[in-house]
Amino acid sequence: MDKGTRFIIVSLGGESYAMPITRLLEIAVPQAIKQDANLTEVFEGKFEFRGKWIPVLNIKKIFRLTGKPGTALLVVNSAKGVLGMLVDAVTEIIDTAQQPVPVPRGVINPTLQYFGGILRHRDNLILLLNEDGLLP
Amino acid sequence: MKSSYLLFLLAERLFGVKLMGAIEILPWRPSRRVPLSYSYVEGLLDYRGAIYPVHNLAKRLGLSKAGPIGFTAGQLESAAGEQSIILLEENSVPFGIVVDSIMRMMSLDEPAAAPEKVRGVDPKYVKGFSREEDQEIMILDFERLLHAD
Repeated sequence: MDKGTRFIIVSLGGESYAMPITRLLEIAVPQAIKQDANLTEVFEGKFEFRGKWIPVLNIKKIFRLTGKPGTALLVVNSAKGVLGMLVDAVTEIIDTAQQPVPVPRGVINPTLQYFGGILRHRDNLILLLNEDGLLP
Repeated sequence: MKSSYLLFLLAERLFGVKLMGAIEILPWRPSRRVPLSYSYVEGLLDYRGAIYPVHNLAKRLGLSKAGPIGFTAGQLESAAGEQSIILLEENSVPFGIVVDSIMRMMSLDEPAAAPEKVRGVDPKYVKGFSREEDQEIMILDFERLLHAD
């Protein structure tokens, strides 16, 4: 039996981020994103998912990364409801028994809850996205 | 009482850091950037089983403005290839600092009390000064530097 946790690894602005796969509902093509003037600028629009409209986050805007919004749409179950998020690409799915290491103190303002920890993978450090802390 | 210090240069000033435990000196390398991190944090470095936040000490101390070189962030980036990263610990918390060059190890007396005014550096980050012949060595207070938040 595999006791590890399965994570989806995505790339954003050339760096890798991870999310537990249990939170992922679907990977979609962001063709049908509709503009919605009621959403703030961190949203790219809304997307119809299983008969309901969900907000779609442009994570690059939240993280102040440059470049176009990503071209892969992840539909994610967060504590604040189902949401979509745009990433550049889904690169792989990994199984790991690692416990994520907390982000050290003194790196980021502790009120920003975007990262749930750090994973090591293939000589790289991967930031774990906290899907519950992404929505404003 | 004398203790061992590692002396390094940053923006043409001489600094000293007290050697408490293990210390590693690496050629500068890129760290894993963390979006929205403090502007003086270059990122995270995974080295021998520990994850070190790497602080750009010149930015942290505001030396990029007041330093005699007057370099900008862009020039800092391009000069980065010649810099070093010192990995150390303060109260068993690992961290790294980016410095211009490593000078040498030496034994110094406890620094004289923190001065009220320090040219170009916020005095709250300065523990005091030591002297070696005619050179003034600024001893930094890393506990304050690390836990400003």
